[in-house]
Amino acid sequence: MASNTSYHDNELLMRPRAVPLQRIWSFLSRQIVAYLFLLPAILIFGLVAWYPIARAFEMSFQQVSLTGESTDVGTANYDLMELDPAREIILENMLEFASWSVALGYALPVILAILIREMRHAKSFFRIVYFLPTVVPISIAVIVWRFIYDPDAGALNELLSFLGLPDQLWLYDPKLAKPSLVVVMTWASFGTTTLIYLSSLMEIPTELYEAAELDGASPLQRIRHVTLPHLFPIMSLLFVLQVISVVQVFTEPFLLTNGGPGRETLTPVLHIYRRAFERIDLGYASAWSVVLVVILLAFSLVYYLVNYRIRKIYSD
Amino acid sequence: MNRGFLSNSELKSFQGRVYYGVVVTMLLVLALAVIFPFLYAFTSGLKGSTEIFTSGLNIVPENPQWENYKTAWVEFRLAKLFKNSMVIVTGSVVLQMTISCLAAYSLSNLKPIGGRIVMIGFLLTLMVPAIAYFVPLFVTLGNLPVLETSLLDSYWGLWLPYAVSAFTIFVLKNFFERIPGEIIDSAKIDGASSLQTFIYIVLPLSRSIIVILSILSFTGIWREYLLPLLIISNPEEQPITVRLIYLADNYGVNIQMAAAFTAMVPPLLVAIILQRFMRDGLTIGFSK
Repeated sequence: MASNTSYHDNELLMRPRAVPLQRIWSFLSRQIVAYLFLLPAILIFGLVAWYPIARAFEMSFQQVSLTGESTDVGTANYDLMELDPAREIILENMLEFASWSVALGYALPVILAILIREMRHAKSFFRIVYFLPTVVPISIAVIVWRFIYDPDAGALNELLSFLGLPDQLWLYDPKLAKPSLVVVMTWASFGTTTLIYLSSLMEIPTELYEAAELDGASPLQRIRHVTLPHLFPIMSLLFVLQVISVVQVFTEPFLLTNGGPGRETLTPVLHIYRRAFERIDLGYASAWSVVLVVILLAFSLVYYLVNYRIRKIYSD
Repeated sequence: MNRGFLSNSELKSFQGRVYYGVVVTMLLVLALAVIFPFLYAFTSGLKGSTEIFTSGLNIVPENPQWENYKTAWVEFRLAKLFKNSMVIVTGSVVLQMTISCLAAYSLSNLKPIGGRIVMIGFLLTLMVPAIAYFVPLFVTLGNLPVLETSLLDSYWGLWLPYAVSAFTIFVLKNFFERIPGEIIDSAKIDGASSLQTFIYIVLPLSRSIIVILSILSFTGIWREYLLPLLIISNPEEQPITVRLIYLADNYGVNIQMAAAFTAMVPPLLVAIILQRFMRDGLTIGFSK
């Protein structure tokens, strides 16, 4: 230790300013190297994420052509939304789609995961088979689904007549169009959530079940008091994610129903797409985007706060 | 023993056996329903153009027309479409992994001043869903600021947007942070530069996570529809997701089904062969 200090002292005596300068230089060069590593990501994020996000906000106060020429129009785009005949319908559709999706696809993966966890054979078969649709591009699966739903020769109506039930119009029926689309959306996504729940279930120590069994808890009570509490945090996170992703749905209604019949399956993103690229009103489309993000953020925030309150009450 | 909420002895009881049988049957029926669209596409693709419209639940074709698959392959130019998708997705994944690894290494090991703010900037893009800015993104790519060029009808117009993944950077950063400091320090003492440490120490140690994230990104970008539809209008360069559905209406349903089934096979094979990696990838974000 002593020799070490004396070494430094010597160097300080010989070159009094060299050490601080060297330190500053090595500090600076380390910063420069660090930022060189960051640079590609910063540039690309800036160009295709941060800038367009800021631009979305800016464009919502402008009139914009397809080539990007823009003139300020104040809040005209937002004022126009008030008059948009599709507005009410889209907001309603948004709620109905979210409700259908939660009804058909929220509990299903939880139940499946619990049942598959209990399998003593073929666990990996079930794990992969429900997951298969999630890797297939929707725009290709849609080709098959529209034939399944076909009122004349589709498999669903053939099944109904086989069972002696009347044919349905499915995607052309104002009442059935939404649930029909949600079935496709659920088919394409529930495998992912099932796997997530399943991997969470694998973390539960078996001793907990053994202890519960020794205490005389019935199988259902064990699910109620051991399994479900373990899943709750993930369930509540996946609830938000599911609602957010359903509200943003585009490809299924665009390719299967094109928003119809009437405006039954007109979703916000489909509306944004049409306004931007069919009516070439990019500013108005951006105003819709901004409103949609605000709605989604507000939903997440309210959900988070309510969840936090409930958990606090439970833990008190 | 690998028990769940039911103990093994409970499962062996009479009630347990009944329960087990009922559950297996239910799961099998659901599994059949889930893969039905694939089976249906396959067998419908084998039917004649009139047989496909005959009534009744005749899933199995009377007289399999294997040449439908050949027709679909040739007419839809599926080889070319697969190639286009492959180029788009591979380029995107390579670019995404490159910039994400570099950024994650900087943020985790070099720790520049302001690194936290940059990370927050990356993560902010997760809060804003991509649909919120696909319109301005289209305008930006059509007329790049500063560079004054257009990336429309260029694969760069897809590679750049798909290179952006705050999730990938976040996961890699957390992974790099768990590499023991002594390994990195000893490399530094041996005189390795930051770049050498990154290439010879950090990347090889992170191979597994990089493979998992690449597979996850690959399958995700392969499914993309809206952005390629907007950016690539030249039919020669469109990916399979955009072109197939556009062409489909020109052909009979049996040919459509044959084409759709063929297009679905590669992703399905990938899912089956790489299932372990995909499962690990999906649960990364949720493991705590």
